[in-house]
Amino acid sequence: MKFLDIIRDANANLLRNKLRSFLTILAIFIGSFSIISTSAIQAGVNNFIDQQVDSYGGEGYLAVVSKDSFDALEGLTGAMGNGNSTPIEYKEDKIQDGMTPITNEQLDKIKKIDGIDGDSLVEQKSLNISYVSSKKTDKKYLIGAEALPPGNIKVETTTSGQLDLQGDEYQIQLEKKYVDVLGYTEENIIGEKIQLVVVDQFKHTQKTFNVKVVGVIAPGVISMGYSYVNNKTADDIYTENTKYYPAEYKDHVVAIAVNYDYKNHSAKEIKDKLEDIGLSAMTIDDIIGSIKTFFDVILTVFKIFGFIALLAAAIGIINTLFMSVQERTREIGLDKALGMSSARVFLSFSIEAISLGFWGSVFGITVSMILGNIANNIFHAEGGFLESFPSFNLATYTIKDIIIVTVLIMFISFLAGTLPARRAASKNPIDALRYE
Amino acid sequence: MSKTLISARGLRKSYGKRNSKFEALRGVTLNIHEGESVAIIGKSGSGKSTLMHLLALLDKPTRGEITLNGHPTARLRAHKLNTIRNKKFGFVFQSFFMNANDTVLNNVILPLKIAGVGYRERHRRAVSALKTVDLDDKRNNKASDLSGGQKQRVCIARAIVNDPKVIFADEPTGNLDSATGEKIINLLFKLNREKGITLIIVTHDQDLANKCERQINIKDGRIVSDTSADAEQDDDGDEEIREIIAESEEDDDEDATPDKFEGDNNIDGMLDQKHPVHHINIDEDEEDL
Ligand SMILES: Nc1ncnc2c1ncn2[C@@H]1O[C@H](COP(=O)(O)OP(=O)(O)OP(=O)(O)O)[C@@H](O)[C@H]1O
Ligand SMILES: [Mg+2]
Repeated sequence: MKFLDIIRDANANLLRNKLRSFLTILAIFIGSFSIISTSAIQAGVNNFIDQQVDSYGGEGYLAVVSKDSFDALEGLTGAMGNGNSTPIEYKEDKIQDGMTPITNEQLDKIKKIDGIDGDSLVEQKSLNISYVSSKKTDKKYLIGAEALPPGNIKVETTTSGQLDLQGDEYQIQLEKKYVDVLGYTEENIIGEKIQLVVVDQFKHTQKTFNVKVVGVIAPGVISMGYSYVNNKTADDIYTENTKYYPAEYKDHVVAIAVNYDYKNHSAKEIKDKLEDIGLSAMTIDDIIGSIKTFFDVILTVFKIFGFIALLAAAIGIINTLFMSVQERTREIGLDKALGMSSARVFLSFSIEAISLGFWGSVFGITVSMILGNIANNIFHAEGGFLESFPSFNLATYTIKDIIIVTVLIMFISFLAGTLPARRAASKNPIDALRYE
Repeated sequence: MSKTLISARGLRKSYGKRNSKFEALRGVTLNIHEGESVAIIGKSGSGKSTLMHLLALLDKPTRGEITLNGHPTARLRAHKLNTIRNKKFGFVFQSFFMNANDTVLNNVILPLKIAGVGYRERHRRAVSALKTVDLDDKRNNKASDLSGGQKQRVCIARAIVNDPKVIFADEPTGNLDSATGEKIINLLFKLNREKGITLIIVTHDQDLANKCERQINIKDGRIVSDTSADAEQDDDGDEEIREIIAESEEDDDEDATPDKFEGDNNIDGMLDQKHPVHHINIDEDEEDL
């Protein structure tokens, strides 16, 4: 018997009992839908995170604060770790929301740690800008900006301009949302000067910095709505911010960024060394880790649900095919009497099972892709929760995932089908012909 | 005399185990020659269908041996048996046995489809088989919509579509009125005459049996009379004695070369020449998946 005939007959047999086949496929559909959807979301999240990590200059980056500051941050927000931390006791020698500065002694030690690129060390200055404005508007807007972290960092810009880090000119890569309100388009704002205004918090003096826009930043998880300025701008704004600070606070370094040699040293190893001198460090992965964990937990739950649904679907397949074997006893007997081999009978029932699986997974994947696209559009539309992340497709369907899920479900269906298929194959033609 | 096609020796078939064990055949020996028309007659339950199933290689005897063209069949691989049934035998079963929901044409095509014949070729041959039984205008009808006589003619079309050497027909007229039955019978005998197809017809209808060249009468699993000249050699009068002879024959034959005829026909090609005469007791179905 020709293989194509077997496939055609198997599908014709499924169509003979449309409702029953449909219900079985529906069960498989639920499993397939959940699994492909969770895979798609996982792929979407991972894609986005990878993209962010790449845009942020990759793997060598370390953000370093004192261990006390780290604990304090954790105590305040729970954001950096597991969120179960206990409140931290107030101590007199701390500034800036309980942050403990990094000492000069510690700074020297960092540079000497094997695997750390001492030259890349930069202070992460927290800049306090009052507002941004431009000559095209009267309005003033709050803005967050910081110096670009060290290393081979590239911020993902919608326009390609990069900062001249060491230059004497004031430069900024502006967060996209400010372009419109300042009266420009993404194209014509490049090269224009905008005004960053700093009002001193103690004496209320005002200083305006005319900063040239060199690029527009695509929103992302890491930039978090921040704009980036070159070193000259950062230094001058910082000086302005700290002009009236009490002398003992002026030179305090709270946070630094540094690169390490990630090819030859593990993050853990470097972190342990920093820990030994009382510092805490975070890699890009740590910073993004909490987002990843959040998605992973949810997705695992859905995946488990998907597999349970598949298990139920497998039982559905077994049941459907057993009924079908029973109904077709005489037909199977006739086939075998007329010379069909047991292997062919087995094969044809297996193919029926596999077809059920195939249609169930195709159905599930198609519906998931349609809904995924609709969801992506809704989330990216105005007011959607991904509005500010145009490059983040929550549901990303990769060919690999689609093939894996389809093959997996067809395989599970095949396994489920072996029981009834074996019963059909072992039917004796004489007994089957006697069967009423 | 024409050559022996199927030869059965000391066939026994029992159903069930121990207490419920029932012997449907109790030592049947016979030879069927090419081109013969043979009627197997007997009362209900006498073992006619059982014998036919064994001769048609649909089932295996509990004891005894069936040779086809001189080749023992008991040790043949399942796929060889399948091929022989598929290509060389035609079947007309007691109660039609059609796929009722399928079209007439698809029912007739079935043996060719199983054989793996290509679409066009099988279509052409099925239509020509339907023409033989005068039903080609019904080819696209659902099989269940036909009358009893038409159904049986479809079954005959299905039986001849693969150009068989032998047609096994179990009560081909059992469900039909006598006029329709007559038509079916004439059709079968025409095939016998014109194409030289060997006919093995199971029936309890004496009129039908009389039309056959040879009648084998079965009672309680034994042959009580056989009109073949051949059979007289086997007929040693007393049933008990014949049974004993049949059994000893079985033993004697173990090393004997089965009578093989020259002028090979196609069945030979399907039989494995490597299998020697063998021990006979095969209870289990050896088919593998
Ligand atoms: N699978 C089976 N299990 C148990 N007994 C069986 C089985 N098949 C047949 N028999 C018994 O074997 C005997 C012969 O059956 P068989 O079908 O050969 O009779 P038959 O001569 O064809 O009768 P009929 O003319 O009614 O078709 C019967 O007594 C039947 O009950
Ligand atoms: Mg019978």
